[in-house]
Amino acid sequence: MTFSLFLLQGLLVPVLSPLCVGVIKKIKAWLQNRQGASIIQPYRDLWKLFHKDERISKDASWIFLFAPLVVFSVKVFVGWNIPLFSLDSGFFATSDALVIVYALALGTFFLALAGLDVGSAFGGFGSSREMTLSALAEGGFIFSLLTVALLAGTTNLFGIASHSLFDSGLHFVPVILAFLGFFIILLAETARFPFDNPATHLELTMIHEAMILEYSGKRLALMEWASANKLVLFFALGANIFFPIGLASGTDISTILIGVGALLLKLLAFCLVIALLESSMAKFRFFRLPDLLVASFILNAVAIGLINSL
Amino acid sequence: MTYSFSKNSKITESGAVTMAEVPLTDIIQSAIDLVEKDQLVFKLMTATDERATKNGFKLWYIFGDASKHSFVVLSTILLDTTKFPALSPFVHAAWNYERRLHTFFGLIPVGHSDLRPLILHENWPEDIFPLRQDFDYQTKPERVKNTYTFHKVTGEGIYEIPVGPIHAGIIEPGHFRFSMAGESIVRLEARLGFTHKGSEKLFEVLPLDEQVHLSEKISGDSSFSHSLAFCQALEQFGEVVVPARALSLRVVYAELERLANHFGDIGGIMMDTGFNFGGAQGARLREMVLRLNEQLTGSRFLRGVNTIGGVTQDLMPEQLSQLRREIASLEKDFVEIIDVAKNSTSLINRMKGTGVLTNDVAVNMGILGVAGRASGIAQDTRQDYPYAGYEAVSLGEVPVESAGDVQARFQIRVQEVLVSLHCITAVVQTLPAGKSRADATEPVVLKKNALALSAVEGWRGEILYFVTTDDKGRVNRVFPRDPSFVNWSALPSAGFDNVIPDFPLINKSFSLSYSGNDL
Repeated sequence: MTFSLFLLQGLLVPVLSPLCVGVIKKIKAWLQNRQGASIIQPYRDLWKLFHKDERISKDASWIFLFAPLVVFSVKVFVGWNIPLFSLDSGFFATSDALVIVYALALGTFFLALAGLDVGSAFGGFGSSREMTLSALAEGGFIFSLLTVALLAGTTNLFGIASHSLFDSGLHFVPVILAFLGFFIILLAETARFPFDNPATHLELTMIHEAMILEYSGKRLALMEWASANKLVLFFALGANIFFPIGLASGTDISTILIGVGALLLKLLAFCLVIALLESSMAKFRFFRLPDLLVASFILNAVAIGLINSL
Repeated sequence: MTYSFSKNSKITESGAVTMAEVPLTDIIQSAIDLVEKDQLVFKLMTATDERATKNGFKLWYIFGDASKHSFVVLSTILLDTTKFPALSPFVHAAWNYERRLHTFFGLIPVGHSDLRPLILHENWPEDIFPLRQDFDYQTKPERVKNTYTFHKVTGEGIYEIPVGPIHAGIIEPGHFRFSMAGESIVRLEARLGFTHKGSEKLFEVLPLDEQVHLSEKISGDSSFSHSLAFCQALEQFGEVVVPARALSLRVVYAELERLANHFGDIGGIMMDTGFNFGGAQGARLREMVLRLNEQLTGSRFLRGVNTIGGVTQDLMPEQLSQLRREIASLEKDFVEIIDVAKNSTSLINRMKGTGVLTNDVAVNMGILGVAGRASGIAQDTRQDYPYAGYEAVSLGEVPVESAGDVQARFQIRVQEVLVSLHCITAVVQTLPAGKSRADATEPVVLKKNALALSAVEGWRGEILYFVTTDDKGRVNRVFPRDPSFVNWSALPSAGFDNVIPDFPLINKSFSLSYSGNDL
């Protein structure tokens, strides 16, 4: 039983992530009076890409070839180590907040290197923009997790989730502030509005898409899949670290099912918010984005300040 | 006569056109006088190859006098020479016209500082000039490998981004070379010509009715305005009287074309900021107009509608009432969408201050249409040089904005959409009875050795046709000047010092035609 839970925990993120992308696209299409593609279209796209040939630039080094594997495995590793549906499916030493933050940073690092590797101008500015944003986002990310870690007295994510679960109602304001700060980071890290436009074809405006512009076929599939995984990871972090309602704490089938159901509902809620956001506003200018990220940092700093004064 | 021509010029007047033949030695001073003393607007410059009859090339300089609704034409003959003094050091708007003459006629504007070929590329031999009469249109010159040097910006940290000619969206091809300092554009150079089709040469050889079809394809999104301008020129030659009903129908169709494209661009601008709601709605409204076009005329882009002497598609009473209904519902939808857009601070923030084209630069370059009006140039061919049924329609004051940014170009389009909607409603209500085209029992006989100028306010700006006939009454030179040819030169200036992620938005706000520029 424990082993199957362990397996479920590992597979859940890569299996669910294309669906999340499909759901967001579907809701956006509805909001624009369009029919939209089926919600399982991202799975078909991945299938198609995995069966396609690749074109690889003659200037590409091993980094370009290797990066998709690193980027993808990091996302799977992180998926294994954060609370998704149950509190008993993990609890490893690797579930530490700092491990998670820097595992994700490792993925970003290789993604940016891959963008630079073939020497195209688009990849270059994509990587440059990505590094500018992730350097600023890192502070907000760590501080938001630190707020809940201080409340729970542990930096282990499963520990944080179980602690807050039994302490709900306490420390309401700091948790909400930290969540708002985290949500801004979520938008930046997953390349959504107002930071980046995942649906654009305008290469000059891209951040994430510009870095993977040179990829095709199987490696592109891995990159796309990895970025879908990242979306689900951040949704799950946001949902379960700050609002761990519905997380299963047992190994019997019914609690597990409730846990998975709660996760699906939470993911759907996040999809809805993202789709609404992307349909109702314009993307920000690049140089306004640091302001937002600093706002996230400040929100978290205030949250931590509130804890200490309690 | 109030224009300050030099005393050596031979002046003739016909209709709304004043022509002056000026000796080559006086031509630059005459042109400068017209612009500076008489406050005329430089419109166009081109040449005709008259070596067979007059021993030389003839240069034509066209100026517009909006207050008198008339044109002034200076011409001069280059006897046994291919060199002429450049006007561009004094009148900057002549810059690209002179480069064109150099590329296509092999005429050398002395004093012009950039004579790199325009439109034709490195594979075209530099000593073959396709618009000379002795160049056969079916000649296939050998491919050569010349070089083209882009302007080079040097300095610490400056790097280049080459974009295109193939772009990610479904748009026409064109190459942009950005010199960048970080995210800021230091210099932008556009290299066009990828859609060069030899249209000007084709006009020389096609039969008359096919020439009309060719004019519809100069820029496919302005099919109606282009064919209207060309048909009007031919009607001047043939002294064809166009029935009043046809003149009014031409207004209706021209405004439908403007509506479709303005809807598309308003949506496109919003889409490029990432404001998806507005983008989707703009595309929807454009599609509704195109379908209406198809129902009324059988062509989504109003092709085959214009003909010499009128229009081929009359509107029946039930079609007119359908048109009225659709216009009313379009207006209702449009007003709602613009209300939502105006309340989106994130959208306004992206448009405001982005891609500023100052009034000085716009005036210097002679920027036309929407872009000109957004930079404070109050010009509208429909009112300045009235044609078709526009004299009878009240369009109100020409909408002008002073900011010259993306938002100003957006606003101009929004205001023009409302004007167009009201204009169509008004014209439909007072549509004269009668025929929709002149009787065409015999082939049109064109005036010999004549010149016709025909200006139409296309949705981008002024489309100007320069057409001449030879001594047998055949059309021997057509220069279809799309506003894009002029307005492309504004893009580097509007893009300067902006961040590069804003460039697609700036480009969209100008919404220029590659095909109309490349010809």
